[in-house]
Amino acid sequence: MVPVARDLAIDLGTANTLVYMKGRGIVLNEPSVIALNRQTGEVLATGREAWQMIGRTPGYIVAVRPLRGGAITDFEITERMIRLLLQRVGVSRFTRPKVVICVPSAITEVERRAVTDAARRAGAADANLIEQPMAAAIGADLPIDEPVGNMVIDIGGGTSETAVISLGGIVALEAVRVGSFDIDAAIQNYIRREHGIAVGERTAEEIKMAIGSADPTPQESQAEVRGRDLMSGLPKTVILTPEEVRYAIEDVVSSIVSSVVRCLSKAPPELSQDFLVRGMYLVGGGGLLRGLAERIERETEVPVRMSNVPLEAVVLGAGHVIEHYDALKGMFMGARR
Amino acid sequence: MSSTTIVIVIAALVVVLAVAAVARSRRSNDGVDSFRRQIDALSPEARRPVVDQVQNAAERNAPSDDVTDDDPDDEDGARGT
Repeated sequence: MVPVARDLAIDLGTANTLVYMKGRGIVLNEPSVIALNRQTGEVLATGREAWQMIGRTPGYIVAVRPLRGGAITDFEITERMIRLLLQRVGVSRFTRPKVVICVPSAITEVERRAVTDAARRAGAADANLIEQPMAAAIGADLPIDEPVGNMVIDIGGGTSETAVISLGGIVALEAVRVGSFDIDAAIQNYIRREHGIAVGERTAEEIKMAIGSADPTPQESQAEVRGRDLMSGLPKTVILTPEEVRYAIEDVVSSIVSSVVRCLSKAPPELSQDFLVRGMYLVGGGGLLRGLAERIERETEVPVRMSNVPLEAVVLGAGHVIEHYDALKGMFMGARR
Repeated sequence: MSSTTIVIVIAALVVVLAVAAVARSRRSNDGVDSFRRQIDALSPEARRPVVDQVQNAAERNAPSDDVTDDDPDDEDGARGT
């Protein structure tokens, strides 16, 4: 007897990939990283194991993120990564599930095709796409079935999207290809420029999590940063203050806040008044940056609330869609008119 | 043309028109029905099982504090002071 595959929802993010299995819940949550042997092309590791190799590999190994800005930058590697992740949740050549994949709303037609083709070639029987902000709103348990304005801000690794949703559809949408990886890169560049030391992307991420903030916060502390001196080439330690980090990431934060403001300005007035009462909901790993909610609230004068499941909201929303596939298939990208 | 033929032609026309009207009505009802199904599937009651799954998983994972150190031998790094 041929085994029946359980359908899957996949949040294929620039930073992490989460997989929801129908009837089971979230079964995989791993960094979107793959490590390859440069000479043979052989896959050496995926997910967390590959993530630990970033910046620490010998010459013949390369650990890469095959997605940037929410889009596939290397089709073949992405396909191999998806195939391996699907194998880990039980997909084989005999069990080909239906798959719903969350993607940024701003991706192009070509990029959409790349994602669906990669999923089909990796073992999916059918692959459909859903916009991340819509999935996030479903996963954050917002009352999007009602005729009221629900606003969700999804800040991911490579994209930041703000959407106004009412009656199960997107009313206004604003997306920028800027996310938490751009914050890490801004910190890296600042340290290189101002302190003359080179740090890796993982260190920049640690700095962001340790002392990074978008707005001044109580009980701030400094960070001791170790890297390689650009002049001498020797290891060096410098002290970084929260003010310096705020200065370093200001352009990225401003870009995100501006996109939220633009989305608010696109919303119909009947829905705008709902935001003042109901507020906006922040999801995504980038939303965890300290002071970001306060900064958005200060600049928009609209209350900002953090979702209970900021990291899982998108895949949970897509998981709900896979649980009610027939009723909700009209929400897939390309299905609406 | 006999009167019988005329009656048959009219009857056939009536049947065709009736079938077309029913099909059109069914198509418009399909839109209403599918929208209604979509809204129902997005209701808090429909979403409850997924929310419950998450809460149950969170409760199951809460006591086991087995987060592994992902960066034990970091050459360069950041540390709050």
